[in-house]
Amino acid sequence: MLDTPALDIEGLTVRYGSAVAVDGIDLHIPRGQTVALLGPNGAGKSSTVNAALGLFRPAAGRVEVLGREPGAAIRDGGVGAMLQHGGLPSETRVGEVLRLVGRRYAAPWPLADLAATTGIDGLLDRRVDALSGGQRQRVLLAVALAGAPPLLLLDEPTSAMDVEGRQAFWATMRGLADRGHTVVFATHHLDEADAVADRVVVVAGGRIVADGSAAEIKRRIDGRTVRFTCPGPRDELVALPGVTGVTALGDLVELATADVEATLRGLLATRDLLPDLEVRGATLEQAFLRLLDTRPETGALR
Amino acid sequence: MTDLLLFQLRRVGRNKQYLFFTVLLPALFTVFFTKVFGAQAGSSAQYQEWARGYLVSMMAYGALGAALGATIRLAFDRRSGWLRQLRVTPFPPGAVLAVDVLVGALLVLPSLVVVALVGRFVNDVQLGLGTWVALVGVLWVGAAVFVALGLALGLALDEQAAGGAIGILSTVLAALGGLWVPVAVFPDGLAAVARAMPSYQYAQLGRDVVAGGAPAVVSLVAVAGYGLTFAVLALAVGRRRPLHAMAG
Repeated sequence: MLDTPALDIEGLTVRYGSAVAVDGIDLHIPRGQTVALLGPNGAGKSSTVNAALGLFRPAAGRVEVLGREPGAAIRDGGVGAMLQHGGLPSETRVGEVLRLVGRRYAAPWPLADLAATTGIDGLLDRRVDALSGGQRQRVLLAVALAGAPPLLLLDEPTSAMDVEGRQAFWATMRGLADRGHTVVFATHHLDEADAVADRVVVVAGGRIVADGSAAEIKRRIDGRTVRFTCPGPRDELVALPGVTGVTALGDLVELATADVEATLRGLLATRDLLPDLEVRGATLEQAFLRLLDTRPETGALR
Repeated sequence: MTDLLLFQLRRVGRNKQYLFFTVLLPALFTVFFTKVFGAQAGSSAQYQEWARGYLVSMMAYGALGAALGATIRLAFDRRSGWLRQLRVTPFPPGAVLAVDVLVGALLVLPSLVVVALVGRFVNDVQLGLGTWVALVGVLWVGAAVFVALGLALGLALDEQAAGGAIGILSTVLAALGGLWVPVAVFPDGLAAVARAMPSYQYAQLGRDVVAGGAPAVVSLVAVAGYGLTFAVLALAVGRRRPLHAMAG
């Protein structure tokens, strides 16, 4: 059983009406990996996670969790999940919820240790209705971990957490990975993927656009942009060293580059004037778009 | 299952509003209306008749409120995302619904028993022990009709509508079913409406027992028919809108 992959997804397609949320994703995650599904909002991360949990029937494709159909894997206590639209029951106390859930698993995480790990000690007797947003999020994480299951599927687990909460979460995830748990989490923070995951799968437009170690992915999408006013011809800009894309913004031109220094040297060697020169970090959205189409973007040039 | 059942019972038990409307209010009404109107009775036989009638009405009122309140709550658990979370936690399929049905059925008992005790010891309603047991038993089993109705509504409605439905439905069922004001004083047209209400037929089961006989076939058939209809409705809605489907 242990040689079956934690998650095996083939040709997964999810549609909402006529909109395609997931467009033929293949994802194979062996046991013990910590994987970040990185992508902008609406990329198809949640749909992928929800399909892996069997929350709806995909339009096409096959999903196997721990070698079985998702529902069966869940019923056998193989999975812990934190959902984007998951919640806690009213009129209960935190400890009661965690005990209720934990007892459904073969070897639940001892409550005191679970609370300490997820940063909710002192909250066990708190009424669920009295929790703050960040506290609620950490309790939901504790609910997912309560059974200490072999596979954890976490959909944007840190979205309502403050910086401290995030760091505690990262430490928890690394601890789980050390104990051999498989952790798959969706995020749109590159730093989070970088801090926790040993593998980053970049999802955009319902497809996987990159898959590699955090360092590799970071190199590929952590680009910068060089902007300046350039009313004249621009065709040769694409050929400059380091440049991965060229976008025209009226008189302004924006070069996406993987190597700012080389690009600047190239520019200075061919031009006397670089009015309104600016160098800035590329936004993650730009980086994702670039991964979607890694060819230089000459289409926007006039 | 037992874990989840105790968990759910504890949750509802903590809801002060629920306890007020399903146990305390019917008990208070029983005392108040029996004392006020019973005082005008010319003889002790007349008093007994009035007190018994009102006792059954208030047992029925408490029971239907308890059954509806315990089951319509399902809509709140859907809205909060708790049902979705349970779905990805290793509970057997169907456990959530089964437990809510059980909770609804169990929570009818305190309403019935407390009002019965108040009737016996505060209002001095005289019935044989066998009749008391039969009365509670018949109204307990019959309350399944409101468990089924509450389940159908809990599955169908969103949170806000569900919250309103508990109060409005309890009131309408009680008022039109002749539980607050006896159907005997209703005008003819309204009395016909009352007799078509599940709450009226449900209370009739108890009235027949208190009168010393078995429930009339008409009432049994009516309550069973309503129960079956609501149960089928609940199944149909549940199939269209699974528990883990998102709220809204």
